[in-house]
Amino acid sequence: MATAGKPRPIDERRAQFQRYKEDVKKRGKPFYPFAMFHDTVMSLVVVSVIVGLATIWKWTSFGPHHDGLHQGLLGPEYTAPADPGTTSFVPRPDWYFYFLFYLLRIFKWPDTVFLGTVGIPNVLLVLLLVLPFIDVRRERRLSRRPVAVVAAVLTVLSMAVLTWKGATAKEALASEVINSVPSWIKAEKLPAAAVPGAKLFAVSGCTACHTYMGTGSSALGAPDLTNIGTRHLGITFQINHLKCPSCVNPGSPMPKFASLGDARLRQLAIFLEDSKGPR
Amino acid sequence: MITRRPPSRAQIRRERMQAAANFPLDWLEERSGLVGGIRYFLFRKVPSDTNWMQTLGSATLTAFIVQAVTGVILAMYYKPTPEAAYSSIQNITDHVTMGWLVRGMHKWGASVFIILMFLHMGRVFLFGSYKYPRELNWIVGVLLLAMGMLEGFTGYLLPWDQTAYWASVVGINLNGTAPFLGPFLAQFLRGGQEIGADTLTHFYSLHMLVIPGAIGGLIALHLYLIIRLGVTSPPWSKEAAGEVPVDGVPRELRAGLTRAGDGDGRGNGGPA
Amino acid sequence: MDPVEHDQPHLPAPTVGPVGFALGVVVALVGLIINPLWISSIGGAITVIFAFVWAREATAEMRGRHVAVEPEMREAGVGDAPALPATAGEAAMPPPEPGERFPRSKFLEASTLGLGAVIGGVVTVPVAGFAVLPAFLGQKRHSVDLGPITDLTEGQWYVATFQLDPKEGETSRRTAFVRNNGVTTARGKQEPSFTIISNRCAHLGCPVQANGPTGSILGMKTISETTANGPVKLEPVVPAGFGCPCHGGQYDTEGNRTAGPPVRGLDRYDFEINNGRLVLLSEYSVAKVDGSGAQAKIHKYKFAGPGEHVTGVEQILYPLQPPHH
Repeated sequence: MATAGKPRPIDERRAQFQRYKEDVKKRGKPFYPFAMFHDTVMSLVVVSVIVGLATIWKWTSFGPHHDGLHQGLLGPEYTAPADPGTTSFVPRPDWYFYFLFYLLRIFKWPDTVFLGTVGIPNVLLVLLLVLPFIDVRRERRLSRRPVAVVAAVLTVLSMAVLTWKGATAKEALASEVINSVPSWIKAEKLPAAAVPGAKLFAVSGCTACHTYMGTGSSALGAPDLTNIGTRHLGITFQINHLKCPSCVNPGSPMPKFASLGDARLRQLAIFLEDSKGPR
Repeated sequence: MITRRPPSRAQIRRERMQAAANFPLDWLEERSGLVGGIRYFLFRKVPSDTNWMQTLGSATLTAFIVQAVTGVILAMYYKPTPEAAYSSIQNITDHVTMGWLVRGMHKWGASVFIILMFLHMGRVFLFGSYKYPRELNWIVGVLLLAMGMLEGFTGYLLPWDQTAYWASVVGINLNGTAPFLGPFLAQFLRGGQEIGADTLTHFYSLHMLVIPGAIGGLIALHLYLIIRLGVTSPPWSKEAAGEVPVDGVPRELRAGLTRAGDGDGRGNGGPA
Repeated sequence: MDPVEHDQPHLPAPTVGPVGFALGVVVALVGLIINPLWISSIGGAITVIFAFVWAREATAEMRGRHVAVEPEMREAGVGDAPALPATAGEAAMPPPEPGERFPRSKFLEASTLGLGAVIGGVVTVPVAGFAVLPAFLGQKRHSVDLGPITDLTEGQWYVATFQLDPKEGETSRRTAFVRNNGVTTARGKQEPSFTIISNRCAHLGCPVQANGPTGSILGMKTISETTANGPVKLEPVVPAGFGCPCHGGQYDTEGNRTAGPPVRGLDRYDFEINNGRLVLLSEYSVAKVDGSGAQAKIHKYKFAGPGEHVTGVEQILYPLQPPHH
């Protein structure tokens, strides 16, 4: 019980809850049917949305194509059977894990890996769990809870941004990149001499770091090579750079490509020098 | 003078029919008290100013029930072995009558369930409904969210296609990077050193039995606490229950409790 | 009210009818086993006769005979209590008696809790052991026959795909990058040397790819053969290094990390040469490799999961490991 003078916060909370109970008893409405009607309408909407999504998924993927692998509006019904020995696949979680998925890409230094995998997600989970003990005021009006509102807006924003980045994140697979070589030849008007180099470029993992005509991943922030030829670096420079990037360009994190052999490096260099952007 | 006429035959018949209709309910009530319980649940009072946003919780429950029902049916056709899983999924999607709909509802119901959980949590946060005396229900809700995400993770492997397999590889290894217990957790999920048949059955059991059981229990606790503690009014409501005195005195002028309470943590986020 | 007082029959005493009927049914059923023709027939006859007797007894009242029924005795008023309304439900517990009729017994309390704990333990220990124990089991030993070493050109890399465990089939399909380093005399005698690098990324286990042209582009033939371990494929490749498409991890041709998030180098397989055939053994983890090929100095560690540091400050985060061979 409150002693004389200022009442303790817990007594205030208890008194407020007591008032709440009295108010509801006096002025409240019965749950059924007044509130439950709204609940039922909402549930109908939910079930309709689920059935609608299922239908769109089926009839834009399998329906017209008779193939569950076809990419419909909502994705294929199933992808190829699991191949644990594959060397050309990039996994993706379901969309509601994209924010975690993108966290993994943000932490691209070995020492920080566990922050992205378990550190940050678990800290957030614990923060959520103890929220009622952090925010112990009785105030519920948003205008009087600036910290809570700011925190909520920031959380929603960052989740949205991470999910969006995860959804649009690109990967490069040698087996798929090689399919875009003809379109490169066409768009960049590559001479015949540059074609072997283009194919080599596609299969040699260059697009794991570099982008070319929108293909490839920029996970590690390497430059775009679509019009590297306009810099006129020269065949010799390109070959030397490919052989040992950090020798030519101190501090470059790019791996050495010397083991491809001189002939192939020359092909690559010709392709790079002929890459002058879409013409 | 009012003369009491004997009841007409129609009246008697109606009374008898009413008694006959009520008999099963009275029978059940006398032996279990269930009817009274349901009646209490349905006719309990809630604040007069509840909002459409407050339907999100029951909508989440509906989505969970859809998941439970479609999941049980899918389990009748699905075969949790690496050899048969993929073809059974193909069979469900392409050949079983309405199988595409049941699988589609389960797959997309999962997304809807997760979205609704987040929206419901957002509503509770904005309304400040996690405050005294509802702290425990917030914690139960957060655990439900975590369990729901785990359902999504374990269910993703079951089709045993490329996406499923490799996403689960990364997911399991991600758990493995947790300090100290991570390697054991990863090995428990895999059911050994390598991903294989045991991993699939582990995930199947977790997805089908362990986590749904936990979710069911937590939902029961969640609902019990809602019924016991009541639903909050929207914080901006002019007649929010527990906020405005019935006699019309504005709450700013309310003597004692509220006044002191407002001064308690003014200006910042409170004793955070 | 004391129930004993009223514990008297309020229906006529059972008569011979139903008893005989039941007896007849029993005889008929037993007869089905012993001698269907005779005993069942007798049983059937008994059943029919007593069914008739029973039916007459049961309908005696309707046929106008007086039946003596002792009334069910109740105190007036109690029996006429209305059924409980559906809204009111009372707990079935009677109010506590004044004065303790059952003083709390410490012994009963302790034994109830103790017995409960025993039940819980008996159930939990095997179940938990069954569920959790695999987490503490070691790697299965395996040996994978990749075929004769003469198939592998010296200095050439191959992408080898094979089944780790033929019993598990396709689920155990794995990929490794194999290079024949030729003959080395590093350990004082002449022996073949191979570099066998796992394609499991040391970040989170995605499939690592060779950065370079493979089989058909090189115009080289892929070796396909069937060994004791099922189908084995060896596709020639000229890698400039290895890269992981998931999160951008990059490795050099010895499996050293060169860029991106991997926490160590690529894992390797032990190997042995058995009758001139290359046999893959268990995997081990590698922090880094100095030198290359047959002269490489490999910083070996026991097999660890992806994302687990084996060196540096962070290795103290993973002090406990499931056992590995």
